[in-house]
Order: sequence, then C-alpha cells, then structure tokens
Amino acid sequence: MSQVFHDIEKKIIASLKNNPKQTPTSLEESTNLSSDQIRRGIEWLKLKDLAIVDESKTSVVRLGKNGIESLQKGLPERRLLNFLNDGPKKLSDLQKDLGYVFGPAMGLAKKNNWVKSSSDEISLQNFPSELPGEKTLKKIGNDKVSINEIDKNDLLGLLKRPDFIIEDVITTKEITLTDSAKLLEISNVSGAIDVEAKVPQVFVARTHPLKDTIDEIREIFVTLGFSEIIGNMTQSSFWNFDALFTPQDHPARELQDTFYLDCIHAKKIANSEQIKKVSESHKKNWRYHWDVNEARKMVLRTHTTCVTIKHLADNKPDEARVFSLGRVFRNEKVSYKHLVEFNQIEGVVVGKDATLRNLMGIQREFYKRIGITKIKFWPTFFPYTEPSLQTMVYNERLGKWIELFGMGIFRPEVTKPLGISKPVLAWGGGIERIAMMKYELDDVREFYNNNLNWLRSTTKCQ
Amino acid sequence: MPVVELSYSHLQKLVGKVTKKQISDYLPFLGLDIESEDNDSVRIEYSPNRPDYSTGYGIALGLQGLFGIKTGAIKLNIKKSHKYKISVKPSVSKIRPFVTGIVAKNGKIDDKIIKQFMAMQEDLHFGIGRKRKKSSIGMHDLDKITFPLVYTTTNRNHKFVPLNSDSEISVSEILNNINVGKEYGSLLGNSSQVPIILDTNKKTVSFPPIINANITTVTTKTKNLFVEVTGINKEDAEDMLSVIATILQSAGFTLEHVQISGLKNSSPKFEEKKISFDPNLANQTLGLELSTSKIISSLKKSRLNAVAKGKNILCTIPAYRFDIFGPMDLVEEIALGYGIQNLEPTFSPSQTIGQTNPISNKLKSLDQIMIGLGYLEALNSSLTSKRVLYDVTGRDPSKILSVLDSKSQEHTILRNSILPGLLENLSRNIHESYPQKLFETGSVFSLNDPISEKINFSGISTHKDANFTEIKSILQSALKIGFGIDLETKTSSDPLFEEGRCATIVVDGKHVGIIGEISSKAIETYKIQSKVVGFEISLSDFFFKPS
Repeated sequence: MSQVFHDIEKKIIASLKNNPKQTPTSLEESTNLSSDQIRRGIEWLKLKDLAIVDESKTSVVRLGKNGIESLQKGLPERRLLNFLNDGPKKLSDLQKDLGYVFGPAMGLAKKNNWVKSSSDEISLQNFPSELPGEKTLKKIGNDKVSINEIDKNDLLGLLKRPDFIIEDVITTKEITLTDSAKLLEISNVSGAIDVEAKVPQVFVARTHPLKDTIDEIREIFVTLGFSEIIGNMTQSSFWNFDALFTPQDHPARELQDTFYLDCIHAKKIANSEQIKKVSESHKKNWRYHWDVNEARKMVLRTHTTCVTIKHLADNKPDEARVFSLGRVFRNEKVSYKHLVEFNQIEGVVVGKDATLRNLMGIQREFYKRIGITKIKFWPTFFPYTEPSLQTMVYNERLGKWIELFGMGIFRPEVTKPLGISKPVLAWGGGIERIAMMKYELDDVREFYNNNLNWLRSTTKCQ
Repeated sequence: MPVVELSYSHLQKLVGKVTKKQISDYLPFLGLDIESEDNDSVRIEYSPNRPDYSTGYGIALGLQGLFGIKTGAIKLNIKKSHKYKISVKPSVSKIRPFVTGIVAKNGKIDDKIIKQFMAMQEDLHFGIGRKRKKSSIGMHDLDKITFPLVYTTTNRNHKFVPLNSDSEISVSEILNNINVGKEYGSLLGNSSQVPIILDTNKKTVSFPPIINANITTVTTKTKNLFVEVTGINKEDAEDMLSVIATILQSAGFTLEHVQISGLKNSSPKFEEKKISFDPNLANQTLGLELSTSKIISSLKKSRLNAVAKGKNILCTIPAYRFDIFGPMDLVEEIALGYGIQNLEPTFSPSQTIGQTNPISNKLKSLDQIMIGLGYLEALNSSLTSKRVLYDVTGRDPSKILSVLDSKSQEHTILRNSILPGLLENLSRNIHESYPQKLFETGSVFSLNDPISEKINFSGISTHKDANFTEIKSILQSALKIGFGIDLETKTSSDPLFEEGRCATIVVDGKHVGIIGEISSKAIETYKIQSKVVGFEISLSDFFFKPS
C-alpha cells in the first residue's frame, strides 16, 4: 500500500529524488514552495524518519560600504596611481581630487614604493597591473562568498581596513532522503491527508461505569420476564429484620453491623395482622419477648429483601417475577473490599415454577448473559431462606472462585405469617462485585471516588 | 461468620479413609467455606446456626455422612448415675432461673482439645447464648468438685478465687476490675444478689454467667469433666448442652447424667424431635423426583434418622440439631445429603412480561439528555459527612439525619442535597483538565414523619468562563428538550451560592430547586481554581407525576 503524504511532503520528496543533496533554498526554488512550507515539510519528514538534515556552519564575507565604493571607483591607491599615470601632480591637487581617501592611499603607495614625493610634487615610480586586494574585491563583488574560496593573503590587507569587508557565520542545512524514503511509493490521491498521525484526546461525557453495569443487570432481568419494584432506603426494623425471621436479639441487628437512624422510629410499620402474626412466629420459634418498639426502629436497609418481602406481603400474588435494585448499607470499615453503601439486586419468583433447580437455572442464565460461564453452587445459611445456596463464580483474572449471589426459598416462618401461601424463590447480591470483575478493579472504592481521570479514560463495558 | 482452625490430618483421623483432597472438596458441600489453608492447617468458616461445626469433631460427623462412612443420627449414650446432683434454690428465679449439666469421663485432654473446647464455648456464648444473656457455659475438672451442688444466689461480698487468679476476690471486685466481669456484669442488673454454684463443701464452683472458680480449671491433667449451662430459659440451656454433649461424646468421652431439681428445673433429656412430612414437598421444592428410599438415605447422609410411614416420611432429629424448625429444613438436609453438586440447574422461560419501573425509565432518559449536553455522570454515597454537607457550604445544619455509631467518619449523616457532594468531587479533581461538568441523580432524605425520601437531580460545571447563563441554559434545555417542561428562575439567595447570582427554579408555579454561581467562599475552601456554577432540583415534586 502506498503511503499518504501531505502535498508539501510529496513535492520535497520528489525534488530530493531528482537532486539528492539540497539546501532549503534550493528546495524552495525547485518546488516553488515558500520557505515556511519547506521548513514545516522538512520537519514532518524528519519526524517520520524519512529525511536527514545535516547542519553545517561556514564563514562568508561580503563587501562593506568602503569595499562597495572601491569596487565601483577602484581602491583609493588605484585611483591615486591612475591620477599620476599621466605625469607628476601637486600634493594639493591630489588632496582635492581624492578627498578623505588621499591619506590612506598615499600611505600605502609610499610604503610600497609606487610613488615618490619631492618638495610639493608627487610622481609615479611604479604602476603594478594588479594591486593587493583588487583580486578579492572582484571575486566578492556584490555577493556573499565563502571564506574558503578566497586567497587569504590577498584578503588580509582588506580585512584590516575599516568597513571594506564584513564577515558573517551562516548555518547551512543540507537535506537528503533516508534509505527508506528513497524506496517510498507516494500516493497520488489528491487532497489526501496524513490519517495515521496522532491526534489529541477529547473527553467523552458518559454515564458512570457502575451505572452501566446496573443498567445492564436491570435489562437482563426485564428480558427474563421480571418487573422492577422500587422501595425506600430507610426502613423500619420490622421489614428489614422481623418480617425476615431475624430475631430481635440476633447479632446481625446490633449497632456494629446495621446503621440505625438516631432517635427515629416508624409510627406505622405494617398492618396489625402482619405485626401480630410475625411476632407470634418469633415468640414460638425463637423463645423470647418480642418488642414492637424494637421493630419500629428505623434503619438504613441492609438488603433490598425488605422491599420484595413487603411487596409480596401487601400483594400476595400467586404468580410473580419481580426484582428490586438499589443502595443498601452496612456499618463496616471502608476498605478496598468493603463499602458502607453499595448496590444490590434482589429478585423473587412466586408460583409453580418455584423449585430450587429453577432458582439455580435463573442464576446460570443471568450469569451467562453477563458474561460469566464458570459457576458452581454451594450450600450456605441465611436466616430467612431454606434451603439456601450461594453461587461461586470463577474470576479468570484473579484465578480464583469468588462468592456472588446468595439465594434460597423463603422459609415458611417468613411467608406464612405474612399470608404468602405459594413458595417464593429469592436471590440477591452486590452489584459492585460484578462491576469490579467487568472493569478489572481491585479497589471497590474507585466506583465512588469520582476521579475524573478514571471516569474519562475507562473503557465502557458491554 | 465464625471461623474454626483445624488440621487436615486430624480431620482425616476422625473421618476415616479419605484423602486430604476429598475433605477439602467436600467441605463446601456441608455449607462450610475454606477461608484459607496452609499445608496441613485449614481455616473453616461455618454458619452461626451450626455451632456443632465449631470443632473438628462436629465437622467430622458431617463429613462421615457425606462420604457415606457413617450415616444416620448420632445417638447420645448417657450412663444413668445418681452421683451427680444439682439442686436449685428459689432465689435464682428472678436472675437466671435455669441450670443443666453433664459429666464426661475418661477423655484424652491435650492442648489442642482444650483450645477447641474454648473456641466452641466462645461461639456458643456469642451465637445461641446471645453474648451469654440467654445461656452460658462453665466447663470444670470434675475431680475437683464434691457433689451434690447447689445453684443459688449470694451477695456481692461473696469471695472466691476466680479463674486465672491466685487470690480470693469478691464478686463486686470481679465485676468492677476483671475484663470479663466488666463486659458481662450488666447481664446481672443491679440486684444485690448474684447467681452462684457451690459444692457440698460450700466451695464456689462457678459464678455464672461471668467466671468459673480457679480450682476447677481444666488442664492437660484433667481426666473427667463437669459441664454446666445456666440460662434464662430451660430449652435454650438444654439446646446448648446438647451441642456440648454431642461433641464430648465424639471426642471420646463417656457421658453420665446429672440430676437436677428445684424450682422449674429438671434433668436434661436430650429429647429427639420427630417431624413427619410428605416426600412430595421435597421433590416439589427441589425440582426432583426422588424415591422415598432415596430421600431417606439422603437424610441419613445428613446425620438424621428417617423411616417411611405410610405416604409420609418420619424423620428423627437429634437434640443438638435445634436449627431444624420444620419440614422445609428437612428439605435442605435432603438436598445436602443428595449433594448440591448433583442438582442440575433447569430454566423455564417466563410466561410474564418484564417491565422496568417508570422511575428508572425516566431517570435513564435524563441521563441520556445530560450526556448529550456534555455532562459526565458522578455517583456519591447518600451517607455522607457534616463536613461535605454543611461545614464547607455554609448550609443550615439544624435538621441533620444522623446514623448511630458509624465506623467511618466520612459516612455519618444522610444527605439532603446532592450538589455539595458534586462540589467536593470537583475539589478532588483540580489537577484534571477543564472544563469539568458533572451531574448526578439520586435519593435525598429529610425528616418527615419519620423520613421522606425524594429523588433529586443536580449538575455542576467549572471552567474559566463558567457563568449563570450557561448553567441555566443547560437545565432549561435538559427539561424542555427531554421532557417538555418549562422553567423560570426567580431571584433568591442561598448560603451555597454567591449573593446576587442565585435563583430558585420554578416549574408550574412551584419552587422545585435552586441554581446559580457557587459562593466564592466554598470555592476558596476547596481550592478550586475557576468559577463554579450548579443547580439542584427535586424531581419527585413534578417529574415523576403522571401528566
């Protein structure tokens, strides 16, 4: 494939193929480009390793004011000799004719014995056909001439005289093509630009990466026939714990694990039938004094299960597929693997398909859709489900099994008091864990740091 | 979740002919997680409903079942005896009315066993003992005690040498000066009398639920044990004792009865529970078609006994399995005995049509509109700090909604506004390139019988030319183009905004939010280099209502 170049580059390369060693000036002439275009073109080619630029410094000389005058009228001493060529002259006449150059001219002529002077008359003694310096003057002319091209001895006299010769140091650039450039094929597509060049980074406005994962999970469950329900993050202990068969003296309900709202109690927690039946189940099974005031204490929900169980208790469906998705809270020390507030998905199935194997099947289908195929199920314990399982999924990057969703069938001790007669499958788990796998993060805090560098540069996961 | 530290070689010795790998492969299928392992040692996490798994002995019983080495229920063989008696005095009735106990003889006691017993005791205290409130254990060297014992009360001046001490101290001193006394003393309330177990020579055996006497300390020289459990109800105390008895028997001890009388106390019976259930329940719940005999053998693998009785199955559950409440718990035992690894997932497509919640739909549209306007989405915790919400912004902190005892200083109060969090985000990004434009939607909280939760929407922009017109244009376009909503702005003031550059946002005549240039004071506090403009509106007030 032929490479695409800017027109400037193409012209320079073509000219150098013709004439392999050139200066910018000669390139200007051969390509008809401006000096600025040539400068840029050379720079581009150099960056692409297509041109070599050799810089060398040389001294040049040109004529000064007196030098130019001498070029036109002859050196002052030549003018003096010319005057005397047709016979001796009076000193005063010579002074008048030659003006201010008479002094230096006379000095040189006497020193070199070209003239001799008697009382007031100057006469020619010798008339050389070429005086020192005359060759150099002619050589330089109106140009700049490299000092190397000039007879050093002849120049020396002129250099000592004021304003005859001006010396400059000039930098010359010699441009040649590299070997690879010599072999280049150049595209002749007109108007082509360098599409391979690097361009600056622009920032994309986007949804938060974690939100993308949340949305993806929401969509998967909708596709699987589940409808979304939404509930409050602040809940009474009744729905967060009591309705889920967690006894009031259970360690999980203590301050160290759960966020209780300071001095805030729910006035109405549930209908009287629900409260009565739930409290009876607790008293019978856990053998303790159930206290309604304990159930009134408001907490930040520790799971979204409180939302689904309330939905089931209030609607008592015979068939249902619903899910709830949102923030949950745990009173933990924040670390790379723990947050006090994170997102959870929670789903339930009510009805005839509610079997443990189906529950496992829903999990497998969900994981497959989110891109996780290596999964297994282990038994576990939750206070409100029986049987209870957890999914273990294989994290390829870390090379180990990690725990994801917990699941089970709501215990009769949970469903019966709330008047739910059909079996209920339930599962749920943290969304950040899945997002960490997708974004290959090792620190869960990154999701809430709002670090612009990360938000702007992280690749969107599909 | 509690953790027990064991060695594979010990487990192998207890279980029978199995390899280390077989054990580590099967532990998860008992519901046990291997937390970590290092050569022979293994740390196993178990569920709090199975305190019998707090020792290697209990885990070995479970593994034997799964491997089929030994199946069926563990039967306690308790020798009848009249030597060991405890009488209970009425005075304990109002403090801690129940005591029970067992004698275990001729076991081999080494440091490892003592360590395991201590761990089991701690776990029982914490979990089913509810931090010793419901019930607590005292484990003693039997041969240092002269029976019969009396469970009674004494006053706080009563003196004895407590565990790990070499001098007599009073009950008051124990409660005031010794750690365990300080930690659990509150369980005894303010009563002048405290529970005490004395032997026939009036020597103190135990001061429940606080501490044992030093004299009965169990050491590697101990041959025979006496274990007492005291508590506030009889069933819980006996449940706890049943776990200990089962583990002691599995550890090679011979059990002997302790006779208890007085008040409402009686000798422990370690009664088995019987549950009859329809095998269809198991098959329907699990999605299997197991024969009755397969169900029975699965239950036996879970160390329970079962027989077919007519159409039903009658299951016999040993006393230490008090985690089993009813038939559904047996379904889980069947699943475990059958092997969770043998359950093949099935998937039946839904007959219902799924729907996202309308609120989620609308918020998603709003996200899309804001992205189109060049805004990046931020996510902040709703549990935040006084510093972010009030100190920096100068907002009114009079109606703070705080949580109790947060372990993190940055997460102590629920936000009632999103914008302060976005401003804080900018302060953490001052070295990133500009312009910086962020938005967030999320819940905010306020006190309202008891709490109202609303969804707010906030945006913020900072760059050198940021101004009021820009941010109003953004919000106006977002609402108009996205949702056909018109807004007006009315001159206002707010501590978070610069005086004279702040307005309330009005939609349909209702004040729904605030917009303007962020106060220079807040910007300086956060060391943000350029001007900041922002807005926040409450969506719940107009956005989600059906039109």
